[in-house]
Amino acid sequence: MTVITPEGERRDAYRLIETTEDAKAPAGNAAGSKPLVPLALLGEIETPEAPFGLFVENTAEIAEIAPHLGSVDLIAIAFPAFSDGRGFSLAKRLRREGFTGTLRAKGPLIADQFADALACGFDEVDIPDTMANRQPVQQWLEMKDTMSVHYQTGFGEGKSILQQRMAAREEAAR
Amino acid sequence: MYRYDEFDERFVRERVAQFGEQVKRRLDGSLTEDEFKPLRLKNGLYLQLHAYMLRVAIPYGTLSGRQLRQLAKIARDYDKGYGHFTTRQNIQFNWPKLKDVPAILDLLADVEMHAIQTSGNCIRNTTADQFSGVAADEVEDPRPTAELLRQWSSQHPEFVWLPRKFKIAVTGAEHDRAAIRVHDIGLRMRRNEAGEPGYEISVGGGLGRTPMIGKVIREFLPKDELLAYVEAIMRVYNAEGRRDNKFKARVKILVHETGTEEFTARVEEEYAKLDGPTVNAPLEEVERIAAYFAPPAYEDLPAESVTLGEARKADAGLDRFVEQNGFAHKQPGYIALTISLKPIGGVPGDMSADQMEAFADIAERYSLGELRVTHSQNLVLPYVKKDDLPALYAELKTHDLATANAGLVTDIIACPGLDYCALATAKSIPIAQEIAKTFADDARQKAIGELPIKISGCINACGHHHVGAIGILGLEKGGRENYQITVGGDATEHASLGERLGPGIDAEDVPGAIEALVETYLSEREGSESFIETVRRTGADPFKASFAGFIETRAAQEAAE
Amino acid sequence: MAKDHRAGSKVKGDKLPAIVMASDLLEGDTVFLAETGWTRDSKAARIAHDQESADAMEAEGKAAAAANAVVDPYLVPVEITEEGHPLARHFRDVMRQKGPSIHPDMGKQADFGPIA
Repeated sequence: MTVITPEGERRDAYRLIETTEDAKAPAGNAAGSKPLVPLALLGEIETPEAPFGLFVENTAEIAEIAPHLGSVDLIAIAFPAFSDGRGFSLAKRLRREGFTGTLRAKGPLIADQFADALACGFDEVDIPDTMANRQPVQQWLEMKDTMSVHYQTGFGEGKSILQQRMAAREEAAR
Repeated sequence: MYRYDEFDERFVRERVAQFGEQVKRRLDGSLTEDEFKPLRLKNGLYLQLHAYMLRVAIPYGTLSGRQLRQLAKIARDYDKGYGHFTTRQNIQFNWPKLKDVPAILDLLADVEMHAIQTSGNCIRNTTADQFSGVAADEVEDPRPTAELLRQWSSQHPEFVWLPRKFKIAVTGAEHDRAAIRVHDIGLRMRRNEAGEPGYEISVGGGLGRTPMIGKVIREFLPKDELLAYVEAIMRVYNAEGRRDNKFKARVKILVHETGTEEFTARVEEEYAKLDGPTVNAPLEEVERIAAYFAPPAYEDLPAESVTLGEARKADAGLDRFVEQNGFAHKQPGYIALTISLKPIGGVPGDMSADQMEAFADIAERYSLGELRVTHSQNLVLPYVKKDDLPALYAELKTHDLATANAGLVTDIIACPGLDYCALATAKSIPIAQEIAKTFADDARQKAIGELPIKISGCINACGHHHVGAIGILGLEKGGRENYQITVGGDATEHASLGERLGPGIDAEDVPGAIEALVETYLSEREGSESFIETVRRTGADPFKASFAGFIETRAAQEAAE
Repeated sequence: MAKDHRAGSKVKGDKLPAIVMASDLLEGDTVFLAETGWTRDSKAARIAHDQESADAMEAEGKAAAAANAVVDPYLVPVEITEEGHPLARHFRDVMRQKGPSIHPDMGKQADFGPIA
């Protein structure tokens, strides 16, 4: 898996816990030392030391996740397919719930979705290496910046077109 | 008309450049076909039976003469000299090459047009009443709302990977000409008891495999809360709409399976949580957009035109044209005109590049440079002075654009069907052509009166067959094309779905079957009832009986042969 | 993702002989697998008379799709006309092979003359 942020590729500091056995393995100090725990596994294993990473399906309810928000510093949302956009809405809702840690989109996303993912509140993506080979980091960084304007207020950094128009009017009125 | 400012311009230009990059990345293998397909669809590009097809957005069906001229240029330089107007007020080119598409998109951007989100699982072109701003029965102009939604829905970061396509329609008139109850979201502009402007909101209408009439989930939403409320609907749909089965993925299924009450509750819950003021457009922005749709500088004219009155007496053709294709204008001395793209034997909705150029000139000389596209695949000249009608009619005739059949039995809606479409199961256009030829006689058409026939070449129902007074659905049965006939569908404020009359029939039998149904209507009708009014009163039974009779007669004929 | 391009048409009975039809990626028009490479003229299409050849041709089609030359290749059952040319057995494939029924002046029927 390859983790890509707006600044480029990043070493993954998290290790996915897939079974209760995984959870017992010693963490160590090397790469991937923090556990990334699937929400479904959380009740079955000894709760890791906070802060840890939480891995959720894109169908997870906010009510199921909310109790853990205080003890996790990363939430990875599963994207079973790039065309499944549920994760975008879940990210938006998690941010609204007050989660300020790292939001990760995990799955076979395509570079063309990077800007949208960031605008919905994600900080990074974690894509399979086969995808990263076809669409290297450079493509992700280039596709991220193809659009410099957006209409929707409340999405992404910078002012929306509506806000920029307002600002221009106020400027002109001065 | 709305005009792009620097931001709209930059948005569209950057999007064109982005698509150019995506095409390059498809060709160099960075994007697989499965990945590229949704990206090209969201830029209006399909791969059909014979070629790519580019669907260009005509926001709420409004076009300028300049834009139509550019469409003519694209048709001539990059296609085969014609375009096809669709049931969602868009235009399609049937023969572009992938390598030319970025150049075509640039030409569109030159005249403030685009093909963004005319396909794919995202919010599509918002449609509206073709008589917006001029209809005598209008409460409020829906175009500013449609433009606001166009901008808000364009490349919305959260809602471009929906379970399925999503269509919004707006009407501001008493009579619904935008078919809002068969859209994913239907907005009806209205006022509350205090006289404040707002919307009645229905969700979950749609045609396709499981046709449904939209359910009202909000009787009244204050006008300035629109975007936040729509965002709430979209979020609930994006999160909860089914993704396990393409045929159950539209919001109508979610509303149906959840129940209207529960669905409404979820939308309201989401709406209560989101921060409305940060989502909604500020009043200044709404006013800025609305200013573009202010009434034009009308001349002060008497309600009736003496010139037109005399010309109508002298020219029966003109008289008939005005009677059939004229539409009551709110401004005295003016008239709106439907320009039929349904000449007998023609392809419904097709227009040649020559006709487009000629019509662009006509719109500039006779209709303040503006025209409209209707969901029934016709055009409208919205601002015609009655005094000008005789001269205008003469010009329309020279370009074969004066067919006086608006709303009649030969004004048939038909999807492209198997002649072009990769999804089609049967031909659609040739069926329309044969029916039109059968009823070509003007006197006969007039005697039959208003009769919307709608034909789809597959279950996806682009031809709106469910809401045709007579609906025709082409399917494949036993390796042959087979057509099912329904009656009683209606897309207006009395929205209803058609009822199937019996087994499917062969293509060559369709015109005869329609004749049998028309005969039944003529014998059953009371007073000045239209076809659909008669069906509503009698029910489908008399039509089922005559349809069965027709099939029996045909079977006997074939046995004799 | 649900398929929105319906490749392949149902034909009852024997699926042979057959040809391979696809869309050209750049141009978008219908192309047919020939003895070598692809042709736009269905009269020059390679015809599989046995299953082994059909499987090999289908594999060639898939390889061309993977190499970004064509899109949606599939085997099309045909009959052989008196002139020895393949003619698709399903009406949808015939439409692709010839061009729109409403426009005899467009598509393959216009470029290469009457197909059958």
